[in-house]
Amino acid sequence: MRVPLSWLREYVDVQLSPEQLAERLTLLGMEVKGLERWGADWRSVVVGELLTVEKHPHADRLHLTTVNVGSGEPLHIVCGANNIAPGQRVPVALPGAVLPGDRRIERTEKMGITSEGMLCSGDELHITSDAEGILILPPATPLGLDLSELYGDVVLDVDVKPNRGDALCLLGLAREVAAATGATIRWPEIKVEETGGPVTAKLRVEIREPELCPRFVGRWVSQAKIGPSPDWVQMRLQAAGMRPVSNVVDAANYVMLELGKPTHTFNGAAVKDGIIIVRRALAGERLETLDHVERELTPDTLIIADPTGPIGIAGIMGGFDSEITDSTTEIAIESAVFDPVSIRRTGHRYALRSEASLRFEKGQESRLARIGADRVAQLTLAWAGGVLCEGRVDSAPTEPAAARLAFRPARVNKLLGADISVDEQRSLLRRVGVETEEGASGMRVQVAAAPKPLVVDSGSEPTVVAVVPTWRRDLAIEADLAEEIARVRGYETTAAHLPDTLMPAYRPTPLRVRELIRQTLAGVGLSEVVTHALVSPLDEARLLWPDDAAAPAVPESVAAPSGDDIVVTNPLSAQHSVLRRHLIASLLDVLSLNERQGRPDVAIFEIGKGYARIDGRPREWTRLAILLTGAAEPAAWNRVARPYDLDDAKGIVELVCRRLGLSEPTYVPDPRGFPFHPGRALVVGQESGSEAVGGRVAELHPDAVAAWDLRAQRVIVAEVAIGGLDVAAPTRMHVEPIPRFPEVERDLAVIVAESRTAAEVHSTIERHGGVLLRRVRLFDLYRGTPLAATEKSLAYRLVLGAKDRTLTEAEVDAAIVAVRKGLEVDLDAHLRT
Amino acid sequence: MDFESLSGDLHRLMDHALAEIAETADPAALDELQIRYLGKKGDLTAVLRGIGALPPEDRPRVGAVANEIGEAVKAALAERGTELRSVVQAQRLAAEKVDVTLPGRTVPRGTLHPIPETIAAIAEVFGQFGFMVYEGPEIEDDLTNFQMLNIAPDHPARDLWDTLYVDIPGHLLRTHTSPGQIRVMQSTRPPIRALLPGRCFRYEAVDASHGFEFFQVEGLMVDEGTSMADLKGLLDEFAHALFGPRKTRFRPGYYPFTEPSVAFDVECVVCGGVGCPACSKTGWMTILGAGMVHPVVLQYGGIDPERYQGFAFGMGVERISNLRHAVPDLRYYLENDLRFLEQFR
Repeated sequence: MRVPLSWLREYVDVQLSPEQLAERLTLLGMEVKGLERWGADWRSVVVGELLTVEKHPHADRLHLTTVNVGSGEPLHIVCGANNIAPGQRVPVALPGAVLPGDRRIERTEKMGITSEGMLCSGDELHITSDAEGILILPPATPLGLDLSELYGDVVLDVDVKPNRGDALCLLGLAREVAAATGATIRWPEIKVEETGGPVTAKLRVEIREPELCPRFVGRWVSQAKIGPSPDWVQMRLQAAGMRPVSNVVDAANYVMLELGKPTHTFNGAAVKDGIIIVRRALAGERLETLDHVERELTPDTLIIADPTGPIGIAGIMGGFDSEITDSTTEIAIESAVFDPVSIRRTGHRYALRSEASLRFEKGQESRLARIGADRVAQLTLAWAGGVLCEGRVDSAPTEPAAARLAFRPARVNKLLGADISVDEQRSLLRRVGVETEEGASGMRVQVAAAPKPLVVDSGSEPTVVAVVPTWRRDLAIEADLAEEIARVRGYETTAAHLPDTLMPAYRPTPLRVRELIRQTLAGVGLSEVVTHALVSPLDEARLLWPDDAAAPAVPESVAAPSGDDIVVTNPLSAQHSVLRRHLIASLLDVLSLNERQGRPDVAIFEIGKGYARIDGRPREWTRLAILLTGAAEPAAWNRVARPYDLDDAKGIVELVCRRLGLSEPTYVPDPRGFPFHPGRALVVGQESGSEAVGGRVAELHPDAVAAWDLRAQRVIVAEVAIGGLDVAAPTRMHVEPIPRFPEVERDLAVIVAESRTAAEVHSTIERHGGVLLRRVRLFDLYRGTPLAATEKSLAYRLVLGAKDRTLTEAEVDAAIVAVRKGLEVDLDAHLRT
Repeated sequence: MDFESLSGDLHRLMDHALAEIAETADPAALDELQIRYLGKKGDLTAVLRGIGALPPEDRPRVGAVANEIGEAVKAALAERGTELRSVVQAQRLAAEKVDVTLPGRTVPRGTLHPIPETIAAIAEVFGQFGFMVYEGPEIEDDLTNFQMLNIAPDHPARDLWDTLYVDIPGHLLRTHTSPGQIRVMQSTRPPIRALLPGRCFRYEAVDASHGFEFFQVEGLMVDEGTSMADLKGLLDEFAHALFGPRKTRFRPGYYPFTEPSVAFDVECVVCGGVGCPACSKTGWMTILGAGMVHPVVLQYGGIDPERYQGFAFGMGVERISNLRHAVPDLRYYLENDLRFLEQFR
């Protein structure tokens, strides 16, 4: 809310500088977001007196004036306005002046006559909306005075929190200033002279929805004369950010800014038979609102109607047909209270929110309906003349009394961790208008309110009863009063000490496994990225990354169930409208961005979530995704470049498994083709104990690389699920005793058909190795003479041993023979010797 | 043959050998000299063959001289050998000289993204004070994201959280990490000290200071008598850990799920409190929002607000990171330009 300081001063004395005031209000919870010097953009605009006004010799519409600006020779200024006459005081922009919008005024020639500056309209200075006439200043305005000294102001931009609708006005903020400084509030004198006939002869109000409109106060002014409101009013409205319209409309807006009470003024002649009906709209009813939009009304919309149909959407916007126009003389004033929820919903429904609806949404006190109606009537009479009818139409004249709220000062201290005496608590509350009374024992204390109310008996604990002013609808429970006490006292007094209460039970952190992986991968040259969870629906179609369900090798404990995309129903853009199921597309986007920056070598990883809908429920799981492309080891003065390949990605997955205490993962070829290179893709799986790893490692199919418009030759990707990424589980590594007896090494060169995989050979050796076989490691892969073209040779080193003895030659031979036989029988292999 | 002439032969032999050893420049040649002079078929042996022609009483004298000479030659060989080896080694070392000012062999080292790094830094500080890490779902239900946090469906405060909804009835993308408070309270009993990091979503157009995806860390502590002074004490420690010794302050704030609510300000990290454009000339920077858990929220968490009280705080991870690393634009984080990421070495 924009608060012109000069206007605020009408209700409360401010001895502080604007900066000090801003600081005090901020520390009281009314955060001042900005200080604007109003009039700071007027430079060299001074008060002048018109000495002569004559017709311009060469142009009918122009005048030739001489102006005394207090010093030096009178200036000759050409002016196009018609409202000027000798003797008037006017704002004069001297040559070199700067007006709002960075408009510069220089000495110019107009139709053959030099103009030494410009006379300014209110619009040109942005202080009134009048662009036709020159702004006429009061006769006593000192000549030569800088206009910014006259009208310059400081406007505070105050962020009023949603629970403090009562402070969305000058008087509300004046109350806060008073609380901060101890000053007293000056209420405007609100009184009206009722010289017309009884209002009931002009206006009848029928409330059909008292739930949605708990109070409606109406007044009627006859014989008003519509015109602009006084300049000082327009200036205030402008400074507060509202556009001046006409005296009657301005009166309503002025009251809204002053009291926080939104009202509406209708052209009384357009209200059929003077009957106002507050009801829900009927199906098919339409209304053209003030913004010239024809709206179809839905039956849950609360409207203001006359017997012929809608004339306004209650609390939000009036109808165009009942708008105050220049010819209006009869004025119906509506000052009502509407249900905040209904107003909020209606505003959303029509995407229509006004300064009025904003205030209605936050709730209105009943009392203000009466006061607001009187104030609008008073200002209308003052600015537009006319005759006010006697009395008000009032649908609910009984005004609720102030609520009484018992609280326990000891509890306030316990919550704040403070030691504030009862007397001080009471005097702090008094500063925000909350009077207090001595409490009794056994009082009902409201600990919590709706939607989960809790009332406790105070028993013998000392209590105080707070009398909550009607405008403070936000004070409903004991803790609310604690907050008032704390903020008025000043939070800078809050003590600071470290908790000395019990520690909670230990819980393993879910970040641990992620931390291990992050540190490990960064250590081998991969950079971590964090990408959007919301992606384009096209990503999935472009990539067709298969679900885990298509890969039985992925352990069930980590496999993501296949499900449907979760779609955002109100996305900001289609590009970010679906929750991703896989991370790879996001990494490809990162690669694409960096390629465009001339970065062909990219090695990145992300630990992030996948999301899907499964059986109508949302599911989330965490994955590790890796992308490698370009040089693994960039060329340097002491080495040549080495490009990343599939083995790097596998090695990284193996490293992660080792780091997490898992055994080596198993690999199953995945010849599906797109999005993978059919000969360079695999499913990875491993499960041991509570930990498991499963997913895919692959070189991307060239068509997939092309779909992302990448320059990279080969892109290696992996996306794996890891047990422990989502749920923390303590893991322990078990140590084997160091062998006391020597181990024996034997090498085997296994010749198999090209179609056999290394995984098959490896598992066959392990299967037949018996209890003595401890480790198997591939150390060579050979193709070529003397082998046939359809063959390859895989050389393994087998390590054998026993816990309790040194193996005999015969034992070792027997184990090797068993392995050899197994290979021959199972894989049709033979051994090279 | 007499003793004198034999002794003379031996001495000549020695002189000759010593001269030859001194002239030798090759360690291999020394080995040959050793064989030639001292070997079984060597010159010394050859000279000693004449010993049989001497009178028996002279023989021991000759033996003594021969031993002496043999030792002298051996010593000369050893000394020369050592000398020659060190010359050879020095030559080799000289030949192996490199330009030590050349850069080292780069060990590949990746970088860690500032968002998880900042979360880890926050978790580390609060972990010291017994705060356990929990995580809640990102796809939340409306009940937990709003209603149980005391934000009714038509509460005007809903405007504070522009929400992205999904096509699962009653569900949305969580707008803050605060629903985690409810989940922690429902799953455990006081004493509670919980930290909840995670991704959040809002319907917000992207610019240098806004994004529709961002990260928060929520904190929650509930026990008998947990007060605002505890909150201030912990937050002071946190601010000092991350930003060094600096003044801090509470000022009033507003959240429907805390009462009282505060904003926690730290002396501007740019100007140190003097006032600058970064802190809008106030000298202060807000780093998080906090407050005492609202009794309605405690009750939804299954906790009796008459017996227990607690505090909660929530901070934007990007904001903390921005202040620590002077990151000028929020978009940097999810864009992942390596020129940004690689600065976090």
